[in-house]
Amino acid sequence: MKKLLTIIMIMSRALGLTGDELVQKMEDRITPKDSKADMIMTLTNKKGKTRSSSLRSITKDDGAKQIIWFLSPADDKGVSFLKIEHDEKDDEMRMWLPAFKKIRRISAKKRSDSFMGSDMSYEDMSTRQIDEFNFNIIGNDTIQEVGCHLLESKPKEHIRTEYSRHITWVDSTLFLPLREESYDKKGKLLKEKVFTYMVINDYQILLKVHVANIQKNHSTTLKFENIELDRGVEDSFFHERYLKRLPK
Amino acid sequence: MTHKLKSWALNQAIEHSRRTVILVLLITAFIGSGVRFIFLDDNIMNMLPKDIDSRRIWDEVIEEFKYTDFFFVAFGNPNEKILNPDALAIAWDLTEKFENISLVDEVISISTMNRMDSEDGFLEVADLMPQKHLTDEEVASLSDYLENNSNISSRILSKGGNYINIVIRPKGDDDFPGLVAAVNEITAPYQNQYEFNFGGQPHLTGAIPELIKTETQQLMLLGLFIMATILLINLRSLPAVGMVLSVIFLSALAMMGFMGWVYYFTETPRFSFSMVNTSMPIVLLTIANSDGVHIISRFFREARKYKDVKKALTMTMNQLMLPVFLTSLTTTAAFLTMVSSPISTMTGYGVTIGFGIMWAWILSSTYLPAVINLKKWDMKNAAIDKPSILEKLIHRFGKSLLNYPKQVFLTGFLIVAVSSVGIWFINVEVNIINLFKPGHEIRESTLFLDREMAGSMSLVLKVEGDLKDPAVLNKMIDIQDYISVFPTVNTTFSIADVIKEMHKSIMDNDPKFDSIPETRGKINNLFTMYSMSGDPDDFEALVDYEYETGLITAMMQSVSTKEIVIMADQIEAYINEVGTEEFTTETSGMMMFLKDFTNLVVQSSINSILLSLVIIFFIAWIFFKHWKFGLFSVIPLTSAVILNFGLMGWFGIDLSHFTALLTAIIIGVGVDFAIHYISEFIHYSKNGIGTDEISRQVVDDVGYPILLDVFSNMGFGALVASSLIPLVHMGGLMVFAMISTSLGTLTILASLMEINKQNLIKLGNA
Repeated sequence: MKKLLTIIMIMSRALGLTGDELVQKMEDRITPKDSKADMIMTLTNKKGKTRSSSLRSITKDDGAKQIIWFLSPADDKGVSFLKIEHDEKDDEMRMWLPAFKKIRRISAKKRSDSFMGSDMSYEDMSTRQIDEFNFNIIGNDTIQEVGCHLLESKPKEHIRTEYSRHITWVDSTLFLPLREESYDKKGKLLKEKVFTYMVINDYQILLKVHVANIQKNHSTTLKFENIELDRGVEDSFFHERYLKRLPK
Repeated sequence: MTHKLKSWALNQAIEHSRRTVILVLLITAFIGSGVRFIFLDDNIMNMLPKDIDSRRIWDEVIEEFKYTDFFFVAFGNPNEKILNPDALAIAWDLTEKFENISLVDEVISISTMNRMDSEDGFLEVADLMPQKHLTDEEVASLSDYLENNSNISSRILSKGGNYINIVIRPKGDDDFPGLVAAVNEITAPYQNQYEFNFGGQPHLTGAIPELIKTETQQLMLLGLFIMATILLINLRSLPAVGMVLSVIFLSALAMMGFMGWVYYFTETPRFSFSMVNTSMPIVLLTIANSDGVHIISRFFREARKYKDVKKALTMTMNQLMLPVFLTSLTTTAAFLTMVSSPISTMTGYGVTIGFGIMWAWILSSTYLPAVINLKKWDMKNAAIDKPSILEKLIHRFGKSLLNYPKQVFLTGFLIVAVSSVGIWFINVEVNIINLFKPGHEIRESTLFLDREMAGSMSLVLKVEGDLKDPAVLNKMIDIQDYISVFPTVNTTFSIADVIKEMHKSIMDNDPKFDSIPETRGKINNLFTMYSMSGDPDDFEALVDYEYETGLITAMMQSVSTKEIVIMADQIEAYINEVGTEEFTTETSGMMMFLKDFTNLVVQSSINSILLSLVIIFFIAWIFFKHWKFGLFSVIPLTSAVILNFGLMGWFGIDLSHFTALLTAIIIGVGVDFAIHYISEFIHYSKNGIGTDEISRQVVDDVGYPILLDVFSNMGFGALVASSLIPLVHMGGLMVFAMISTSLGTLTILASLMEINKQNLIKLGNA
């Protein structure tokens, strides 16, 4: 009976809600101004062998500004990465290579490039703009008893992308993506993503992302720890001089 | 017991001829119906043993990394620059189509490779060809990049810039013929526009079975035609030739059916029909032909004497039943020794052909006399009434031969002794390119790839150590430099090359930094930087996940197993010289495996030949009741084997796994003559023929069918016209086996028995 009521509720909510409106609701979610977190990234190849690294990240403006420092393995310690997204011009990306004592600029030409050797591409990490995709709700489903809208995102013709479409399971109450399937240009399933959240300071904060490249049988798990929010990080912090200093 | 069985079979054939024929045909048809269950296995790789050390290393490399032997597809036109928008678009299309073949793991081509550029000092990893259609400016930029990066261009572009090379990495070695067929289908529409060259181990092993099958079928039909013609000229009777041929076809049908049934019930791959099995019908044809020829020609001789079919048939079968059984038994035993072969399908080969031989014996002992009995023979017909040319020839030959037995024996012995010295010069070697005659499409394509591209073969060196340690990486570079000096090596690549390239890029493309960085930290920084825009799988074929095992791949021209061993030994010596404290190396690749495999097959074939001789000796001893007859029965065979290996040594013919296997066939086709000769000798000893006449009588009686058998089987010499060297060897060996064993019987054995006739007649009588 309870389940039936939930379904009716979801159905009635879904009625009248378009794909674009759902995406807008997702974008309208209240998020912290800035955040600091330690990340553990584990890559697993098709033979089950794993490679782990830990990183510290400080972000602002929903990830538009970000600095990442490598904490481990020991070989990578000190390497850091700065990203500043711009609306009007190419994103700015710089990298500090301590062994060479050089800061190098990275251009962001290819959105399909892998992000730090993981199964996530720069495209996977960026927000899908309403004017770049056609969004449609194609059904409803539940994930662990959470009612979800099935949101289909198809890139518009002018968009350069490695995908033909995505299907996202969007929590119909909190408007959070819980799961996503991404299909390649030939329509074959390429990646599966699973997102886990927890509530911190009334925010729904991403705690874990698991991305599996189905075709390559390779996966990446990204876990977030020691999360601190709204620390009042200044814009000026996102400067290459801070790349060389690992914050406490 | 033997006598009772013989009488029963003869009685069935003569008194119940029609019933016997129908019954035998029905049983043969039932066994033959198993043909529909024959499992065709075209993949040569399935025949190869998996427990040889070099195969183990190779399998480990494939398991850890990827398949290391490539399939090359090069297209272009001579004297025409290939780097143009149209050709690049075709390369793009072909690459995409090859990638869609389910047997393909990856395609390395101009449209899939990355370029590393330095932009503001940052290492930029981008696609060499960002899209299918390039502008003239983009083509010019691509051309410049390739000109400045010879290690990349050497793998995807010909030396003169006229051909694009597409490198296909198969997923495994499960279905190379399927891969060849798929690639051929994809490239067919473009072949009127561009010249295509295919090469590499997967292509060779995938294309050979189909070529062998096609050529064997054509040449075997020609051989059969020649056989039938020679039989007709000598037997001068179409029904008689038909009877011999029917025994051949029925035994071949039963043999193939048997193979199908065994596979149906056991599903063992040992009984799958692979490339080596294509020689089975030819071998059986010669053996079954021998049985039929002996019986028919003897029947004609007896009919000439008695002018009565039944009497002639009874005399014929009484005399030939035992030798035909014995030749079948010894030949079967010889083929059964193949069970010990390291090639799994040879077990099925030996057992199946053994069954075919025994079925040919059943047909020759029941069906053939029954059919002869059913035919109304005209006793005045020239075929029966008058001796044939060969009969007259052998009569004269026997006369002069037996006048000088000691000289004949000495001459024969000397020839064998001199040729035996050649055995010491025998060269065990395989060069895959030499499997094809000059001018053959595959040979020319391979030579083209060797000449114009990176080569058609690869040698792989597995390196284990800390592959982020500059010392190890520098030594890898040293080893690569050393390998590159070999004239047969076109290019080498490893993770060390990528690190050098990254190092140069980050240092603003300064050639001074085209080296391994001096610290591990820098090397790590380079990998981290690469990961910012490169794919995590980019290094999958070069280094393992933990950077503990890597590969040095040398792309090289087609070489022989002997050359590869010399090369591997020299590389090993060099590695020991530079020191291996930080890492260990192992050489791998198809050629290293082929070298071990060839040695194994040669050894096993020699063992099989020796074992066959011993078995034949004992069988003949048991049935002829004295060890001396056992010894005499193997003399012509032993002489033929010594002659074969000795002449191969003298004439510089390499002993490969192919030739070694085919040599074992000599035993199969050559054992019969000596058995027939000795059996006839004993028969005449028992019938009181004196010492003056016995040898001449035996040569007259046995010599004719032997020569007829030899001449008719010469038809399979047509195989020497094949464009495939294994088939040429097979044809040549069939002819050689026939000549050497018949001459061995009619000269060495005949003269030796003539010299010892007093003693042998006594033994025969006993």
